[in-house]
Amino acid sequence: MIEVEQLRKQYGDITAVKDVTFTAQPGEIFGLLGPNGAGKTTTIGCISSLLTPTAGHIRVMGHDVVRDGVAARRSIGVVPQEIALYDDLSARENLGYWGGAQGLRGALLRDRITEVLELTGLLDRAKEPIKRFSGGMKRRLNFACGIVHQPKVLLLDEPTVGVDPQSRVRLLELVRDQAHAGACVLYTTHYMEEAQTLCDRLAIIDHGSIIAQGTLAELRSLLAERDLLRLTGVFRPDAVREALSHLEGVEIIQSDETQLALSVSDASHRLPSLFAAINTAGEVRGTTLTQPSLESLFIKLTGKELRE
Amino acid sequence: MRFVFTSAVKDLRRIRRDPVMLLTWLGIPTLIALLLVVIFGRGDARPNGKLLIVDEDQGIGATLLAGAFSQGALSNMISIEKVDREEGRRRINKGNASALLVIPKNFTTALLEGKPAKLQLIRNPAQRILPDIIEQVLSMLTDSAFYLQMVAGPQLREAAQGTPTDAGIAQISVQFNHAIADLRKYLAPPVIQLETKVIEGKTDKPGGFAALMLPGMLYMAVFFIAGGLATDVWRERTSGALRRVVTTPASFGAFLGGKLLAVLLVLALVGAFGLAVAHFLADLRVSNFPLAVLWIAISGTGLYLFMMLLQSLASTERVANMLSNFVLLPLTMLGGSFFPFDLMPKGFAQIGRLTPNGWSVTELQKILDGAAVSPVAFAAVILFVAAAWLVVGWRVRRTAC
Repeated sequence: MIEVEQLRKQYGDITAVKDVTFTAQPGEIFGLLGPNGAGKTTTIGCISSLLTPTAGHIRVMGHDVVRDGVAARRSIGVVPQEIALYDDLSARENLGYWGGAQGLRGALLRDRITEVLELTGLLDRAKEPIKRFSGGMKRRLNFACGIVHQPKVLLLDEPTVGVDPQSRVRLLELVRDQAHAGACVLYTTHYMEEAQTLCDRLAIIDHGSIIAQGTLAELRSLLAERDLLRLTGVFRPDAVREALSHLEGVEIIQSDETQLALSVSDASHRLPSLFAAINTAGEVRGTTLTQPSLESLFIKLTGKELRE
Repeated sequence: MRFVFTSAVKDLRRIRRDPVMLLTWLGIPTLIALLLVVIFGRGDARPNGKLLIVDEDQGIGATLLAGAFSQGALSNMISIEKVDREEGRRRINKGNASALLVIPKNFTTALLEGKPAKLQLIRNPAQRILPDIIEQVLSMLTDSAFYLQMVAGPQLREAAQGTPTDAGIAQISVQFNHAIADLRKYLAPPVIQLETKVIEGKTDKPGGFAALMLPGMLYMAVFFIAGGLATDVWRERTSGALRRVVTTPASFGAFLGGKLLAVLLVLALVGAFGLAVAHFLADLRVSNFPLAVLWIAISGTGLYLFMMLLQSLASTERVANMLSNFVLLPLTMLGGSFFPFDLMPKGFAQIGRLTPNGWSVTELQKILDGAAVSPVAFAAVILFVAAAWLVVGWRVRRTAC
């Protein structure tokens, strides 16, 4: 179990994480979704003792990570964003080293190494130096090193960055397996589809603050089942606002001279009337209609796309 | 504690997997020893010159003069050969000797009677040091002959006139004694005492120039290896391995301790190999092999931590490498690696001996010469290693996050 209360991390005048609060339960995959620089890695860094929080409290399996760091770290397995492995060692030797760092010894360590190698599909390449591995294989081994000691809490920091689709599917399956086995999984990502398909609960983070959290259904309800209509062309923002103010169930999310984003209920049936109104305030050249999703929620909450 | 060994095994495996690097490290001292042996020869290599003597006097004075070059250390450097004037001229003109000394007829008579005599020395212009030595020795001998004439001229002239009787010898002795008594106030002034000091290990050090150079050269290799191993921390930092270590329950001190243990073993191996090569190829005397290896390993580990400290002060790997080179090259030059302390100007040698590597070289030299183990030196290095381990651990952990 991870309990984060009013977490704040400052670097001089810059606040990287601001009053972040959430709880992740055993057997649950809790997602932290946000763009690059939103504060996801800083949050994981504080939970894993890499960084000391400026304020707030973090408990892992009941242990305070600042005051009782070693006990907290015994429960944690970290899969970092980078491939934190030794290229000149074999997969088995890497696992032996990281398992040893987690306190595993002897036969138990040997058995666990074989188990995770099998789990990640690397058993037949176990003795090769990993510099010969593909990117996807290294990612899987990186994951294996994080779970070799069967942690109760698993922290995954964008583990699928730069991974081929096949390896990504395999990795996501492995993450689900860990949660099914009872681990509390904290998963950070900036991939919407990953967060939607994998996470039981989610927190959307931007500029260091959590702007929404809950289950996927709870988050979708924030959109009130509205579609996201994105228009490109040439617009006069004030005139657009005036023209749309007479239509019910239409909310302007973003508006400038070239782009317009609207939250609209039942948009597919109302397109003719919408275009008629907007054409009085500009010229529409392109249209995208999106069903309620995390992406549309993110745009609604932050006024920008996740990839920005 | 267990993680120290796990960490050391990991680093040793990684070093073993890079055979080119390992061979380079072992190759450095071997190559240096070989080069020195090829350039300066083995331990018996000394300057060797020939003095040709044309003895036209055939008296005791000429014999004594020639004999002076056959005494003590001179005999190891200069061999003499008696030739006639024509052959002497021919050979010196061909450059087959360092110098040609012509002792004229009646030299002994002139010496005994206090008359002027002229010795002729022809130098080989192609050589500088050995003809200089011969000229200096000859100058000293002529000065000595002059003073001998001043002190005991009458007695020598009397003795030269025929075989003296017992009474004559007694008379000469008494006269000699009086002359010495008159001169005593100059020869032995009571306020001045001559102190003779024998410097141990200097007079009979085997191995010649190559052996003189090798301890410093060995430390150059140790310093370069220490510097090379210290840069590994950047690879671990870049890959994220350092950050991953911090997230485990293992202590960062144990992680660093494992690195130190691996470095200690590598340097012990290189030190043993280097000393063995130096002993067999360059005739280096190694009085206490295990202690010398231990010293190289421990002091080398200190140098490794020193380089690690520099690495941890830098903001990027490039800056770290520049900083390392900036410090490493002057230190190896000053620390007796390029020029032995014995051949350096006194002031530079004093500064060089204070550098970490220079001090290590000096202590190693003492161990090689069979001097007693200096517990202070070992304690100083171990204290430094402990202190640097704490500081480096703190710095590296801080920069890792």
